[in-house]
Amino acid sequence: MSAPLSAAQMAGASPVAMPADIERAARRVERRQTFSAAMLVLPLIVLIAFAFLIPVGLLLFKSIDNPVVAEGLPETLIALQSWSPADGLPSDAAYLGLKRDIEKAKANGSLGVIGARLNQDTPGARSLLQATGRKLDAVTDADPRQAFITIDKRWGEPEIFGAIRNAGDRYTFNYYLNALDLTRNTAGDIIAKPEGQRLHINLFIRTVWVSALTAFVCFLLAYPIAYLLAHLPARRANLLMIVVLLPFWTSILVRITSWIALLQKQGVVNDALASLGVIGEAGRLALIYNMTGTIIVGTHILLPFFVLPLYSVMKTVNPNLVRAATSLGASPFTAFRRVYFPLTVPGIFAGSSLVFILCTGYFITPALVGGQNGQLISNIIAYHMQQSLNWGLAAALSTLLLVMIGIVYFLYTRLVRDQR
Amino acid sequence: MFLPVSPTAGPLERLWHVVFSGLCLAIFAFLILPLVIVVPLSFNAEAYFTFTREMLSLSPEAFSLRWYRELFTNPQWAAAFRNSLFVAVGATLIATTLGTVAALGLAKLKPALRASVMILLLSPMIIPIVIVAAALYFFFTAIGLAQTLTGLILAHAMLGAPFVVTTVLATLSGFDWNLVRAAASLGAGPVHTFRKVTLPAIAPGVISGGLFAFITSLDEVVVVMFLASVDQRTVPRQMWSGIREQLSPTILAAATLLIVASFLLLLFAEMIRRRNEAARASTYKD
Amino acid sequence: MTSLVSLRGIQKTYDGKQLVVKNLDLEVSEGEFLTLLGPSGSGKTTVLMMLAGFETPTTGEIVIAGQHMTRLPPQKRGIGMVFQNYALFPNMSVAENLAFPLEVRKLPAAELRDRVEKSLAMVRLTPFADRRPSQLSGGQQQRVALARALIFEPRLVLMDEPLGALDKNLREQMQYEIKQIHARLGVTVVYVTHDQSEALTMSDRVAVFNDGIIQQICPPKELYERPGNSFVAGFIGENNRLQGVVRKIIDDDCLVEIAPGVTVRARKVGVHATAEPTTLSIRPERVKISPQAGEVDTVIAGEVESVLYHGDHIRAHLRGLGPTPFVVKLPNTNGAAATLVAGASVSIGWASRDCLALDLMEA
Ligand SMILES: Nc1ncnc2c1ncn2[C@@H]1O[C@H](COP(=O)(O)OP(=O)(O)O)[C@@H](O)[C@H]1O
Ligand SMILES: [Mg+2]
Repeated sequence: MSAPLSAAQMAGASPVAMPADIERAARRVERRQTFSAAMLVLPLIVLIAFAFLIPVGLLLFKSIDNPVVAEGLPETLIALQSWSPADGLPSDAAYLGLKRDIEKAKANGSLGVIGARLNQDTPGARSLLQATGRKLDAVTDADPRQAFITIDKRWGEPEIFGAIRNAGDRYTFNYYLNALDLTRNTAGDIIAKPEGQRLHINLFIRTVWVSALTAFVCFLLAYPIAYLLAHLPARRANLLMIVVLLPFWTSILVRITSWIALLQKQGVVNDALASLGVIGEAGRLALIYNMTGTIIVGTHILLPFFVLPLYSVMKTVNPNLVRAATSLGASPFTAFRRVYFPLTVPGIFAGSSLVFILCTGYFITPALVGGQNGQLISNIIAYHMQQSLNWGLAAALSTLLLVMIGIVYFLYTRLVRDQR
Repeated sequence: MFLPVSPTAGPLERLWHVVFSGLCLAIFAFLILPLVIVVPLSFNAEAYFTFTREMLSLSPEAFSLRWYRELFTNPQWAAAFRNSLFVAVGATLIATTLGTVAALGLAKLKPALRASVMILLLSPMIIPIVIVAAALYFFFTAIGLAQTLTGLILAHAMLGAPFVVTTVLATLSGFDWNLVRAAASLGAGPVHTFRKVTLPAIAPGVISGGLFAFITSLDEVVVVMFLASVDQRTVPRQMWSGIREQLSPTILAAATLLIVASFLLLLFAEMIRRRNEAARASTYKD
Repeated sequence: MTSLVSLRGIQKTYDGKQLVVKNLDLEVSEGEFLTLLGPSGSGKTTVLMMLAGFETPTTGEIVIAGQHMTRLPPQKRGIGMVFQNYALFPNMSVAENLAFPLEVRKLPAAELRDRVEKSLAMVRLTPFADRRPSQLSGGQQQRVALARALIFEPRLVLMDEPLGALDKNLREQMQYEIKQIHARLGVTVVYVTHDQSEALTMSDRVAVFNDGIIQQICPPKELYERPGNSFVAGFIGENNRLQGVVRKIIDDDCLVEIAPGVTVRARKVGVHATAEPTTLSIRPERVKISPQAGEVDTVIAGEVESVLYHGDHIRAHLRGLGPTPFVVKLPNTNGAAATLVAGASVSIGWASRDCLALDLMEA
């Protein structure tokens, strides 16, 4: 019954190189497993693609998509191809092309849209186009240029044709220029906007600043209570954890309502201070509907996002390490500074990048309690979406915001990797 | 709620301990007081957003259910509650189903592939909501889903699903896959095994993920603002208008109801979490 | 005895790079208790998983009771399995765990209850029927797992290190109980363990695995007495190893030179020709200290390095025979250790039938 193998048989049974058919068979099994797992993930990927990836992709595409003038004034643009504003007024062909383009746009009702698009760069262009449309019969083949200038003398300035040509690219970076407070002069060079009109860069800077400040305040507030929660006996820690989690689970609108009740001029805090005589009736503090309000409410809303990751890191710190440090002669403060704190740094990174990223996208809080000077970049995006209807600019600002978030996220992953 | 102080601590350490305790107390107050304060304010008999002198002296006439009556009799609020509930339930069902199934698949993918798919699935959590809402507005308008409850439900399901994926994956990380094999070796088919073995084991993750998806939808206002028509307003949308347009204590009453609701949901979620933890810890030691 | 399970030409790789099971051919007879024994990572679990249907062989086929299994899903195979950490359903009571396979098979309620009761009685857990698995001790959980794998009366039961998580006493008791149940039910068992004493005490046959290959498959006694190669000799029990070269072959024996001028007679197991290098294997308990003339075939001199007291026996490490200490194991009878003091020169010897010339063990 015994069947020992000789060394020679063993050597035959363990080939050095894997036969190709075995390798293929193993691949096939692996592919089948990956495939059946992927089939389970697929429905959610479809939902995310349908309700997130595709819409966001299309939105971002709007930041370079620029069909209105290219499709609305095609003949004008062809005639302007080799023209530059430095050459003075364009040729008669351009004016005749413009005439035919305007006629066509009037016929299919797109003149208003074209005017609105030109108006984004050149205020007044919409009414100019409408007015010209009404008097187009006066333009003849004889001297179209003079006829146009008679209708409106702005047709006698090269700038309007420069604006048409700048807006005429099928794809454009002009929205990004605008989002970065840059513009083109009539010669087509990129220049900075005049001092008073540089609102986007300031808004980006303000958003970064508010986010950094909020993350820092959250750090100051989160560290002590995360420490307390991580070191209390489980029963009491669980009870206090509810205090941290309840705001987290409560509607943001509810929390904002509460803060308005607390902080407004006739609110609880001001009433209390006034009745205690700390401030006079005239000296009520402006705690809300300004930057202060954005930061106070933002901190309250984002604090749990800092506490939770920090707490889970603190839970993993071996308490014997601090004991070892003190047994080696370190004072409690030194033990904390040299041993405990460095071990919790990953939690601080996680908490601050989370708070920072969430804060850069904040919309509701600044919109409701930010007043004039507490608005952030999301609010201006919503403004261009809903009020000014400059969707290309909204899309360009959105892209820049996403890039900014991507950079922060990338830096965070780098930091985490360097920690290890 | 305070940490024990070592009996060998010197005076400086004792002083620091007192300061630290006071600091923690203040931070907890900062977290919880804003929520607590609206509860009494919502019973204000006057149309004020602050405590009246009469309220402070606790005179009974200063308190009333006036704003709750207002809340319950106003047809706009009633419609808002109906819409909110409908959308949240629909979104939760979709998010929980798709999220749970996806987590089961993710758990079986190779780590490298799983990591990249996870980035894709979790990205809705960190992309600014305004961008999502604007994008949905264009896309859903183009395909005829704007101003429909279906569109809202799909959008909210997309926002809630990442929470389900993460909580279910966390539960699955402690799951013994041999249980599934054992069920198969005992003759159970895949569906029976899922119902009787896998689902009970991951139920805590599914439920807490579902609760998260539910409150995510219940709390969402920006997408609603971009996508919903006037008669599709939800409770947060209604509160938004309340805050923006006319500050009436009715929204304090609504806020109080929502706080109570989130408190109950939170207690429920915590109960599930602790039962799960206790079940894991109570393995017999011999 | 008819063959119940046939594994033919099985190979398995998970990653397409490394073969975890290499060219496995194995027959398991009806009613047999076969143990797969081998170090961790040698591919034992993989073989069980392929039998149960949780992994597919990369090549080869599995036939059970004349039926090809390769395309049959696990739940259709009707093979009982006891998992290493029991895999008891935590959300079901003991009785519900036992009833699970019967419910799946849609047994009538009365018969189901009856079978569960009998099964509980068999593993002496009747009072624990309504407990959750987490409220049972390790040994009790083990018995539930066993009962659950047997309750639907499979012809074949697979057990993957079922006693691995138990402490020593409990393990020995459970070994006995599993043997009893096997004898009573006559079920075929394929049992996996890395514990050699478990394999030797329980099995009809043992297959020793290493590196995805069955090194030897035979009854336990033969495994110890006649290891087929130096891996088996080293893995089952202790042995002393001496390297040497075959000088002469005499029928079933051979003469091996272990040092210049020192030649010993050994049984020829893994060598075939003169001048082949070989490893000699000698069990420590077969070595005699200061043997009488004619008591042994081989006598060699050595020096005592150290003596260890083990209660029931005494071990001595000797110097001067190869690079590693040569171990001698003596029963602790009166005066056994008298000559054994560190530094003393002693003569030792053994019968040539206790000295096996095996293949050269690669270091
Ligand atoms: N699911 C798997 N995927 C990839 N490799 C595996 C898998 N299961 C086992 N292996 C590898 O196959 C080899 C044999 O494993 P196994 O059959 O579990 O051995 P044993 O049960 O004898 O300890 C090991 O090297 C192990 O790492
Ligand atoms: Mg194993």
